[in-house]
Amino acid sequence: MQELGLIFRALLRNKVGALLISLQIALTLTIMVNAIFMMQQRSEQMLRPSGLDEANIFYLSNTVFAQDYNQQVYLEDDLALLRQTDGVVDAIQINAIPMSGGGWSMGLQTEAGEGKDSTGVAVYMVDDHAINTMGLELLAGENFSQTDIEWRASSQNNWPAKTIITKAMALALFPDDWQSALGQTAYINQAEPMQITGIVKSLQAPWNGWSGVERSMLVPYKMETTGGRFMIRTEAGRRDELMPIIEKALSESNKGRIIRRVTTMDDTRERSYRAHNAVNKILTSVIAVLTLITGFGIVGLAMFSINRRTKQIGTRRALGATRGQIISFFMIENLMISSFGVLLGVGGAIGLNIWLVSTFSMAPITPGLIIMGVIVLYLVGQVAVLYPARKAAKISPAIATRTA
Amino acid sequence: MLTMNNISKVFQTDEVQTHALRDFHLKVNEGDFISVTGPSGSGKTTFLNIAGLLENFTSGTFMLDDIDISKLNDRDRSKTRNEKIGFIFQSFNLIPDLNLYDNVDVPLRYQGLNAKERKKRIVHHLEMVGLGSRMKHLPSQLSGGQQQRVAIARALATNPRFLLADEPTGNLDTQMAKSVMTLLEEINQQGTTIIMVTHDDDLANRATRKIQIKDGRVSELDVVRDNAEVNATEQAIA
Repeated sequence: MQELGLIFRALLRNKVGALLISLQIALTLTIMVNAIFMMQQRSEQMLRPSGLDEANIFYLSNTVFAQDYNQQVYLEDDLALLRQTDGVVDAIQINAIPMSGGGWSMGLQTEAGEGKDSTGVAVYMVDDHAINTMGLELLAGENFSQTDIEWRASSQNNWPAKTIITKAMALALFPDDWQSALGQTAYINQAEPMQITGIVKSLQAPWNGWSGVERSMLVPYKMETTGGRFMIRTEAGRRDELMPIIEKALSESNKGRIIRRVTTMDDTRERSYRAHNAVNKILTSVIAVLTLITGFGIVGLAMFSINRRTKQIGTRRALGATRGQIISFFMIENLMISSFGVLLGVGGAIGLNIWLVSTFSMAPITPGLIIMGVIVLYLVGQVAVLYPARKAAKISPAIATRTA
Repeated sequence: MLTMNNISKVFQTDEVQTHALRDFHLKVNEGDFISVTGPSGSGKTTFLNIAGLLENFTSGTFMLDDIDISKLNDRDRSKTRNEKIGFIFQSFNLIPDLNLYDNVDVPLRYQGLNAKERKKRIVHHLEMVGLGSRMKHLPSQLSGGQQQRVAIARALATNPRFLLADEPTGNLDTQMAKSVMTLLEEINQQGTTIIMVTHDDDLANRATRKIQIKDGRVSELDVVRDNAEVNATEQAIA
């Protein structure tokens, strides 16, 4: 630290190289901090619970092609077969799968009529076995009873009298007190009343990028459809064993349909967040490459500076500098260059984040992340300069007496 | 203050051994002004590097103020250089990015002196060499002679026990060389011991002791002259 002022003043007279490295550090910090922030946000999204017992759930498609297929009868047969299979906890017919990317949405409103505020909600048409099959946690109210379940013909447009909604949906409809939603009437299709008879803790919508992903509703329907799905929950650890057994059993029980796309919820989650994962990997690579380039830049500048100043270093040694003082000379010089870069970088990181927040409605960056980025870049700088600095310290003081 | 006995320095490559110094003896007393001459390759620079603790020797004994130099590690050698030896180089070796004030400040910072003491010494020594009004100038803004004066101020600022001058006038024209030499003589008369390597016999003759190195040995021992003789030489040169 003895040469602090001297190093600073010498740097001011050799600005170009140092300035370029400072700008590189600033750019790296700007991109690094925002990239890590975006990765963090994606990781948080990927870690959100869907509300389902994902590890033990799979689903399959039931595609009907036979002309004389009695859907109402065969649905009951299928559900009975599934529920009676050894190792199956429960099973339902369902119109959409959480996180799958495809499903139904409607608007619910607390007042009937056109022009009233409505809140978007994902619709799951299920029977009274849904809570048990999905592994949902009922926070308030009660499950559907068998008598609540209606048969929904393919041409039917009206809605049943009851619904179970998620806590997030309850909060959206009744922001002051989500529990007050229980027993209230909400209106679907602007005017059709549905009584909220239950509130579950969470159940994600099929669309993971939707801002209302936590807003879902269960509707007590069994559906007439040629392309329905069954969701099956197994006892812990038996999912993979039961998947082919159930596929075979269903296929053989009725030849008027095809059973296909037997898929686990784990696979669905992985597919759903594949793009997030890919982006995170790309961002990680970008950060790593940028950091490496910055590190190499610092090594390069330091090596160039040492080669240019070999005699000067020898002279300093002749004048009494120890090897440690030569090392600390370069470390401090790098600290100064890094500090300028970091200062610019913090401004850049905040500026870029403000732009991202205003353009893409992202959350503002946390100060902790900026501090972490600053520490990382200081460390990169110090580690990068260590090798050249040690090389400089090995320069013999006798070089000072050489005339060339 | 400085005694070298049987000093030898051997440079070893894979195939060749070069004896830069052999059986080298020298005793330097307080207040000496010694000139060291000799043909190119005779070992003058090697002697200077060893005397200035810039290089290790192969064998022999080197005592500096009762310190056995062979027993010092690199850190202690640096400290000893900083505290006891002032260097004046042929190419001045000023740091081009620092102004005169900062250049003189460099070895003082290694001594760990406080800012007030450093300032006092820097100003005093720059004024002593006649550059008190140019402290904020860069070396590139000065003539060669002025740069060498800054180097002398830098060498003296640490209050060294002796000055080692390596061809201090080698890069200067006659007029500037004379002025630098006069300055060195004044410094010597104030009590600083000086060892000066030079090619120039006229300058060498102005020293109070003169030794010649040939083939790594002192070939002509200590021609000691008194001040009257030196003054006579000066007048003859003038």
